[in-house]
Amino acid sequence: MIILFVVLPLVVAGILPLLGKVSRRVVPDLLANATLLFLFVYAAVAGRPLIAGGPVLQQLSWLGEAVNIRLALDGFSLFMLLAVSLVGLAVCLFSVDYMERYGAKANYYALLLIMIAGMNGLILATDLFAVYLFLEVAAVASYALVAFGLGHDELEAAFKYLMLSVVASAFILASIAVVFGMTGSLDFAAVASALKELNAGAVVGVASAFFLVGFGLKAALIPFHAWLPDAHPSAPAPISAVLSGLLIKVSGVYAMTRIFLNVFGLTPALSMVLMSLGALSMVVAAFLALGQKDMKRMLAYSSISQVGYIVLGIGIGTPLGIAGGLFHLFNHALAKGLLFLTSGSVQQATGTRNLDEMGGLAKRMPVTAATNLVGALSIAGVPPLNGFWSKLIIIIALIQAGHPVFALIAVLASVLTLWYYLLMQRKAFFGKLNEKWAAVKEAPFWMTAATVLLALLCVGIGILFSSTVTTWIQPAADVLADGVHAVIGSWGF
Amino acid sequence: MIVQTALLVGLVLFSVLAIVLRDLLKSAISLAVASLLLGIIFFRMNAPYAGVFEISVVAGLITVLFILTIALTGAGDEVRESRLVNWVFPLVFVAFIVIDALVMKGLLGKIPALASGGETGSFGDVLWKGRTFDLVGQIAVILAGVFSVLALFRKRDKHD
Repeated sequence: MIILFVVLPLVVAGILPLLGKVSRRVVPDLLANATLLFLFVYAAVAGRPLIAGGPVLQQLSWLGEAVNIRLALDGFSLFMLLAVSLVGLAVCLFSVDYMERYGAKANYYALLLIMIAGMNGLILATDLFAVYLFLEVAAVASYALVAFGLGHDELEAAFKYLMLSVVASAFILASIAVVFGMTGSLDFAAVASALKELNAGAVVGVASAFFLVGFGLKAALIPFHAWLPDAHPSAPAPISAVLSGLLIKVSGVYAMTRIFLNVFGLTPALSMVLMSLGALSMVVAAFLALGQKDMKRMLAYSSISQVGYIVLGIGIGTPLGIAGGLFHLFNHALAKGLLFLTSGSVQQATGTRNLDEMGGLAKRMPVTAATNLVGALSIAGVPPLNGFWSKLIIIIALIQAGHPVFALIAVLASVLTLWYYLLMQRKAFFGKLNEKWAAVKEAPFWMTAATVLLALLCVGIGILFSSTVTTWIQPAADVLADGVHAVIGSWGF
Repeated sequence: MIVQTALLVGLVLFSVLAIVLRDLLKSAISLAVASLLLGIIFFRMNAPYAGVFEISVVAGLITVLFILTIALTGAGDEVRESRLVNWVFPLVFVAFIVIDALVMKGLLGKIPALASGGETGSFGDVLWKGRTFDLVGQIAVILAGVFSVLALFRKRDKHD
């Protein structure tokens, strides 16, 4: 019953605001966390046996009659579902304490669950229009969540995000229309096999370009990144964690790679475009991050830079490159989720995001400082943390595929990453304690618990990286490396 | 052919008006006219369901919502934009028309003609049997919209 990944969060979201009238805090907290815990356990425990014999394709029936709900679960989608439910769970735990001051908690959880349902729907979709639709589900919920604080900055950032996101949707929809016009179908399998027989390179090029702009905007690749440094810092911290950790990856990277690699097929030209965009994002965003004084804004620029690594890795197109890109996607989801959550702890304790006003907070908030350090070192690629291994795989893949220049850029961008994260550590947590923060206390229990969970995962996956790669990453990378063959034939109904 | 061309030209013209007009009310009405023309084009191209939805929802319902919002927000309906925008839009529009005229004909020739037949089956068949998963997505979008409105128009608690 893989439809549960979509329907369960939706149903819970539907009843939460009603239950919120009865119990304003406890019931929404419990129900939302229980839902995400269930989805995580389901993906982690039941998922792999399900796909052991190849991709699972489900055609649902309603009252004995087959209805046209088709879902597909393969290594790639299972891997994404796991990432979504894991980071979602950590974020939900963090929200128990953090969202107290915002009020309307039931409503908040409802929107969060709809966003998760939207991402899960996109991951399980088997046709282009369903991809567009669930992209919008997640996006509509995220606009409201960015503006949830109702302050001037929040509303302005949400509006900017909405406007650029609509442009992205328009490009994606236009491309879907072009593909439908060419092939007469929206189904991944049918489109992939029709495109194989058609000799319409120019039109496929136009469709690819539209998709690239649309999904590039969603993934905030440079030069399509303008909305992200406003939207992500303005949202409440747990939402920043979901947006940076998951949403840009699901609605940008996942949708783009699924369509480019499994439906259109990766051509050398497309591969070069993806790698160049990835390298550009990696470097430019790293320089932009260096100059930031706002802690969350620095993290937001860092997200753009790290998405660059992911796209660069997947863009190589070799099995090792794809595996490296996907592994980095997972590691970045955990580590950036962790960093945004700790930035939320700091903001709640001090009331500021300005790095210059902080200083010496490690003495007052030791757990937050330690977990933040783990996240920062992980993204910077310091061994033995998880981020080191994924970057190493990407760099080895680049050298193997004969792209030494890109490999060098990746190494240099990694040095820049370490630089700005050390700046953040020094300004926020180390040095002399600023007098103002003498009375600051460690974050409440659930907030600390969520960050400790993610930090332990960063360390654990770093140590057990080889088993993580063989269990979760390799099956996902195999699907993508298989190209259009992964979809043609086996995904047809 | 002449009617079709006139409809298409009208569609582009009113769409441009919707963007360039300064008065929000006139802009909303231009958009409604554009959408009405699009609805008629849908009818003429054998897509009655698309036409009905375009005219009833986009030209009708959404225009009512726009006008209602403009009436409620009242004063200050003149939009002030930077001078850059005044220059950029016509430039981009002209460039688009030129590229469209040069490229599109060749490009369209490369797209194979689809099997005709327009919309097969009744509307119910298409919606319930053809695109059932979309209904789940639509329910989700509606839920997201409702909860967004509830969240954004709530009374602010302590946080300000």
